[in-house]
Amino acid sequence: MAAEIFSVLYQFADVFAFLILAAAGLAIIFGMMGVINMAHGEFIMCGAYVTTALVHQGMPLILAQAGGALAAGVAGIVLEITVVRSLYARPLDSLLATWAVSLIVTQGMLVLVGSSFAGGGTPEGSFQVGIYTFSTYRVILFLAALGVLAFIYVLFMKTRFGVHARATMQNASMARALGMRTNLVYALTFGLGAALAGLCGALYAPTMTLIPTMGATFIVESFVTVVVGGTNVLLGTAPAGLALAVVRTALIGWHGQIAGQIGMLLAVMVMIRILPNGFSGWLGKWARNM
Amino acid sequence: MLSYINGPQTLGTGRGFWISFAVFCLVAIAYPFFADPYDVGNFAYFLLWIFMAMGLSIMWGYTGMLSFGQTFFFGIGGYGYGVLSILMGAEYGLTFLALLLAVGTAAVAALVFGYFMIYGRVTGVFFGIMTLSMTLALAYFLGQTAGPEWAIGKARLNGFNGMLGMPPLTIPWFGGDVEILDTTLYYFVIGLLFVIYFAVRILLNSPFGYVLVAIREDPERSELLGYDIRKYQIIAFIVGSALAALSGVLYTAWGQFITPSSVGLPAAAMPIVWVAFSGRRDITATTLGTFVLLLAFQTITIYSQQWALILMGALLLATVLFVPEGFVLGLARAARWATLRRRRAPIVEAEMRSEEA
Amino acid sequence: MRINGVLPGVISALALGMAMAMPAHAQEPIKVGLLEDVSGDLALMGMPKLHGAELAVEEINNSGGIMGRQIELIHLDPQGDNARYQEFARRLLSRDKVDVLIGGITSASREAVRPIIDRTDTLYIYTNQYEGGVCDASMISNGAVPEQQLSTLVPYMVEHFGKKVYVVAADYNFGHLTTEWTEKLLADAGGEVIGKEFIPLGVSQFAQTIQNIQKADPDWLMMLNVGAAQDSFFEQAMAADVHYPMASPIKVMLGFEHKRFAPPALSGLKAVANWYEELDTPEAEDFKKRWHAKYPDEPYINDMGYNAYVALYQYKMLVEKAQSTELEPIREVIATGEACVDSPEGEICIDPKSQHTSHRMRLVSVKDDHTVETLHDFGVIEPYWLGEIGCDLTKENPQTQYSPDNLPG
Repeated sequence: MAAEIFSVLYQFADVFAFLILAAAGLAIIFGMMGVINMAHGEFIMCGAYVTTALVHQGMPLILAQAGGALAAGVAGIVLEITVVRSLYARPLDSLLATWAVSLIVTQGMLVLVGSSFAGGGTPEGSFQVGIYTFSTYRVILFLAALGVLAFIYVLFMKTRFGVHARATMQNASMARALGMRTNLVYALTFGLGAALAGLCGALYAPTMTLIPTMGATFIVESFVTVVVGGTNVLLGTAPAGLALAVVRTALIGWHGQIAGQIGMLLAVMVMIRILPNGFSGWLGKWARNM
Repeated sequence: MLSYINGPQTLGTGRGFWISFAVFCLVAIAYPFFADPYDVGNFAYFLLWIFMAMGLSIMWGYTGMLSFGQTFFFGIGGYGYGVLSILMGAEYGLTFLALLLAVGTAAVAALVFGYFMIYGRVTGVFFGIMTLSMTLALAYFLGQTAGPEWAIGKARLNGFNGMLGMPPLTIPWFGGDVEILDTTLYYFVIGLLFVIYFAVRILLNSPFGYVLVAIREDPERSELLGYDIRKYQIIAFIVGSALAALSGVLYTAWGQFITPSSVGLPAAAMPIVWVAFSGRRDITATTLGTFVLLLAFQTITIYSQQWALILMGALLLATVLFVPEGFVLGLARAARWATLRRRRAPIVEAEMRSEEA
Repeated sequence: MRINGVLPGVISALALGMAMAMPAHAQEPIKVGLLEDVSGDLALMGMPKLHGAELAVEEINNSGGIMGRQIELIHLDPQGDNARYQEFARRLLSRDKVDVLIGGITSASREAVRPIIDRTDTLYIYTNQYEGGVCDASMISNGAVPEQQLSTLVPYMVEHFGKKVYVVAADYNFGHLTTEWTEKLLADAGGEVIGKEFIPLGVSQFAQTIQNIQKADPDWLMMLNVGAAQDSFFEQAMAADVHYPMASPIKVMLGFEHKRFAPPALSGLKAVANWYEELDTPEAEDFKKRWHAKYPDEPYINDMGYNAYVALYQYKMLVEKAQSTELEPIREVIATGEACVDSPEGEICIDPKSQHTSHRMRLVSVKDDHTVETLHDFGVIEPYWLGEIGCDLTKENPQTQYSPDNLPG
């Protein structure tokens, strides 16, 4: 019995980690900055590729993962300066532009690096509970997801940069008038979102097949989680990930993967219908009424 | 009614536009007489996607609702036509009944989903994700219909491998049925496009169309002015979705084949790309631009192998960065600027500025 | 004097050679239309297919072409998009007027092409292993089909590992049909499926599946997972320390998972294939040497690439025996039952009833370090199933795909 209960919790933690890690970067870029970033999956791919390449060079995994996240962050800053910066006033055009970037990057990767990339292998071994054995690394992924949530919260609520970033996103001209270097804030915030996406790729790199289009596996889950979370990223993403993970885990356990997949999408529709402003809108209202 | 053909909601109102429009139509009609039959069939194929783009232009460009659901209705139209035409057969012009019923089914589905979303006050990006969710759910559902239990009569949905065996559109004719393929299909689609283009222009320049644009510009103010904006939004959604279903029917009839890939990603993103590229706020730009883009993408794919996707991406990126109003509108403006400059250079700047405002 | 004697000889020999070569070059080339995905998700498999066709065309052209006619290869890249397959099949057939159409990766792409090819008199060769069952006179299939792969693999696994089987399959036609095949063959061998799970394409996270398998505790796993995302299963199962013997008709030879994953993720996996790069017969060694000379960067010569290569030699054989590139004379050659070629795997023939190809099937096993060893040679296996259920293309042409749940009549 204990094994069964642990198994259910483990499954839930696994789905939750996937949703949160996939969505964290997008929550900042799309949720906060309003850029519909179709190249989100490519930041994830970038993180995964760089991580694995560094592991092949003999670097310890954890440093390689930091390198992967960093590389994606730098790529994000470059993209912000060259493309995204001129599109803040036209969010729907940012969709088209980033989709174009995604095409160029995935196919460019295919031409340059080839159609596949040898993986590095999962570290940390396994542990046993009852009849089941579990991968230790996947528990680390869950902890990493919690860590990312805490990091985002602390960064935006407790640091000077966070205050500047929130001020800039809310009213850029006012922030500029108050002497903030909004261009820099935009670039850094976008880079941070990209780095978090890269971190997702870096963390999942040891467990997945590496191909140029691997980011596509994450993209639907990440958009869905962010949107169900609503406009306030700090408030919304975690409960959205929680709710969707519960629905998905239950359905997969009950009726297999396809039920989980279709069921989660239907749940998204119902949740948006009930909470037209996402979880954060609802939480915000609830907090105000307290 | 006809007076609504010209109006402020559609670009191209002057004599110059209508003269070039007439020339364009004549060229289109004459085209099969001097072109390779393959090219004619290929053009017919491009044209049949335009309805879906027009639908999105009405919803997104004019009413401000970004729908990722065009391929949802495309799929309902395509699969609907497949099932119905297999069940009813191709005699007595029944394929046309299948066409109408399939589009009708999609319209009813749009009414149901539209009611669910629009009357639930789902707007903006939430609307986009909701329509995306329903599209992907349909794609996943269709993908797992491989088994024999997923059949309606002798029409098997056949999962990921796709549905086969439906007849093309067929006209009953003296001395044997005529299948609408290649050149016949070309004329059929051109005719349909002509009719629907005018119908949409009339719709957009009518009082109804004014309200749509008002909703796009400011939904709250429109509501305060006394319009039940949800009624207008749902009608725009139904019209736009039905047009997507029409594309779906024509596509399925053209290739006698449809798969779930036509519904899911990345197919679902394509209409948005076409419309955004062309200039979503004008129906003529959407029509022309979609055709140009389809042609360009196919040509690039034929001639540049592995570099094709990179070139397409670069083309789109350049459009977004340098021609923000969309490719066709940008070209039109450039053309007008060039001609006007020759005639009365000093006024141009002011005119362009007033237009922007 | 001696020079005078030799020179005219040389010149006349040269002239003769040129005269003999002239008609060959003056003739129209034979146009081969090729549709292979070298962009997008499927490029991993599409690239070796393009290379295989290019290598065969080069070899055939260098040795005098087909009936003295050179081959002109026209390749288009449908980018894994079914609609592009439709567009490009039409283009190759009506614009380029190709003599034969080859290619396609997924079954969906093949089904997209078939309604178009069926309206013409052109031959189409599908070069992948697939779920089997297409009974269509316009199509030759030269990949392995379930009766060739599974009627060998399943009894072997039951004999060596046991009777309780868990199936992990991709949730689409291939996965479902191959699962049905597995169940049928298992029943014949006295085994049973104690659990099966269908995974939607694109799913990359398998924690639940791994737990379900542990709960069911089978003797071995039948792996019918498809695509790069689903391949992640192997890595994740190993990380969870779940090691059951595995069998698969599609792993190793097709997506070379043993080269792409860090060992020992695939250790112990058994597969049956007509071709895998580790095959070491002299003919195979020679073929691999030619391939790697032309494409030094090829990560792996997979069975699809190999089939694409063989397809051109099969076409050459058919045209030369028929003395024509038309469909009907070619089908008459197939109907004789002697449409055979010597390929790197051995002699293979086209079955007259189904127009599928016989194959020499071998059982391979992946070792701990991901090297591959050949365990057993089953000899040549006929594609018998379609003929058994009543598909006979020498008599009628239903242009249908049959399956165990969709039989003729």
